[in-house]
Amino acid sequence: MYYYKTGIPQVDGISGGLEAGTNILLLAPSMSSAEQLAYALIKPVQGEYSIVLSTNERAAEVVDFFKFAGSDKRFVGVIDAITKSSTPSIVDTPRLMFVSSPTDLTGIGIKFSNMIESIFEGTFSEGEAGLFPPPIRFCVNSISTLLMYRKLEVLYQFLHILTAKQRKIEGVAIYLLNNESFDERTLSLIKQLMTGLIEVKVDGNDNFFRVSGIKGVKAEWLKFTVNKGQVTIIP
Amino acid sequence: MISTGMAGIDDMLGGGIPRGSKVLYSMEPGVNGQLFIISTIYEALAKDLSCLVILPHTTVDAFLHDAANMRGNMLDITGKKIAFIDMIDRERIQRSSPTRAVAENEWRARINKLCKENQVEVIFGYFDVIYEDFGLEAGFKLFDSHNSNQSPTVILEHLNFEGDSLLTQFIEKLSFDLVISIKASFGKLPHFNFFTIVHTSWAPLQKRSVPFIISNGRIVPYIPKIVVTGPPESGKSTFVASVSERGQSVDRSGLSGSSTTVAMDFGWLHWKDFDITLYGTPGQPRFDLLIPMLLKNAMGAVIVIDVTKPESLPRAKHLIHLISERRMPMVIAANKSDLPSRMTEAEIRTALALNKEIPVFFISSKKKEDVRFVLESLVDFITQFSY
Repeated sequence: MYYYKTGIPQVDGISGGLEAGTNILLLAPSMSSAEQLAYALIKPVQGEYSIVLSTNERAAEVVDFFKFAGSDKRFVGVIDAITKSSTPSIVDTPRLMFVSSPTDLTGIGIKFSNMIESIFEGTFSEGEAGLFPPPIRFCVNSISTLLMYRKLEVLYQFLHILTAKQRKIEGVAIYLLNNESFDERTLSLIKQLMTGLIEVKVDGNDNFFRVSGIKGVKAEWLKFTVNKGQVTIIP
Repeated sequence: MISTGMAGIDDMLGGGIPRGSKVLYSMEPGVNGQLFIISTIYEALAKDLSCLVILPHTTVDAFLHDAANMRGNMLDITGKKIAFIDMIDRERIQRSSPTRAVAENEWRARINKLCKENQVEVIFGYFDVIYEDFGLEAGFKLFDSHNSNQSPTVILEHLNFEGDSLLTQFIEKLSFDLVISIKASFGKLPHFNFFTIVHTSWAPLQKRSVPFIISNGRIVPYIPKIVVTGPPESGKSTFVASVSERGQSVDRSGLSGSSTTVAMDFGWLHWKDFDITLYGTPGQPRFDLLIPMLLKNAMGAVIVIDVTKPESLPRAKHLIHLISERRMPMVIAANKSDLPSRMTEAEIRTALALNKEIPVFFISSKKKEDVRFVLESLVDFITQFSY
């Protein structure tokens, strides 16, 4: 069984990392560094690959985060649901793919399959090979935006398929959802699809997270910062 | 008839889609099947049909560029009879409609107006957002427009999260004439796409499933592998060689002085819009270990027998048993039928214990037309086979 290191001693030290096939919901309010935390958790270590579905930032901005965090950009792919609406002629590359809007779940599903396929075929990283079978980290940033474009029931069905595929390829995935903007029913329905939960809260100027559903890891609030893609726990 | 823009599929449908039909391309999430409706749009415009394209999920510009990337050439709409409703129109409708009923009326009014103004013959629509907004029946009614002559043909693409039960509703509640379901096999890694002709109202077709690849912006239905097997020296290598446009055989001189296959024969041909690859197995029992490997992922088999050698039929029967276990379409090529002392069909059927669905063709594998006829029949058999 492959374990995905998180860089957080309180997780890696106990469980060895996140078990292959894990789907984690990251519930966070606005302005809580949740996006940085999510990206830090899916930053690929050597031999791994990462894919981000971005409904909030352009692909170039996402890639910049990973470059700044010291990742090899040849192992990072972005499905960008922003840029095409303003630049319709933009063309896909193996690592940067574009869909016209977050409404286009058909396009998002196809681009995700295409990227996974190119990783397995070895055409993703300009001839550089990672591990095989490829460990793939995946981030949906964010479910909140997708919910602005599609109904909860439809998105639930879509995420049901996405989380199942993620399990099949033995990847690990983080799904961001703003817990201030949606009702309890929405949160509870999305939680049903997940194997783990990370909650983030803001107290004054400090950010905290709490992990639950990961074997052996205590569900306690930990104060954190993220700098250059590295999560630091502050005692 | 309106062509689907995919020759192999048109053939299966008896020439294309009858005018006025209701057609659904149902897509399983993640399957690269957008080219189905795109191919039909390109073909309709090439035939100068007046089209309305409804794109609630994207803009016209983004759609045209996506289609161009998929097809390899930009959709030439200059001077063509084409109108669009896109996601910007949908947003306007949503903003200006206080209730769902008002939005529904606005959609219907726009579609009717465009159909009337442009004498629209084909409406293409991306249905899943409409379905989400209005439900199945009310959503489909929006497309149910009439110009002065006849109802336009309606061709929808739909991202189907609900599986076969939704397809049944399209067929039974909405009386769709053609339903094609586009799916992928997604295991540890995605490995092949296939489409299934689930329903046609104008021809009594059996449910058909056919793999496809995308090549040069075209959907190419393909038969990934047809295995040619049979007892030693029954004429398998000749069969493969005589029909293939390219091929290779690994032979060695046999005890009888003629050559015998010791690894495999390989042949390739493009025919009737199918890319067909042929794998010929060695006939001798000592190579039986190879046969399960060669049968893996095969979609059909030809069993070549020598009709002048009844003593070889127990071996053929064993091979038929191996293939039957895999529930694979097969045909019998009764070779050397131009020689004297040939067996009759009844004798062959009895000796091989064949069921009546398995056809027997009397051929000479040296004659290209005989071999082509066998393959044509097998391809028909495969595309009508219920998986």
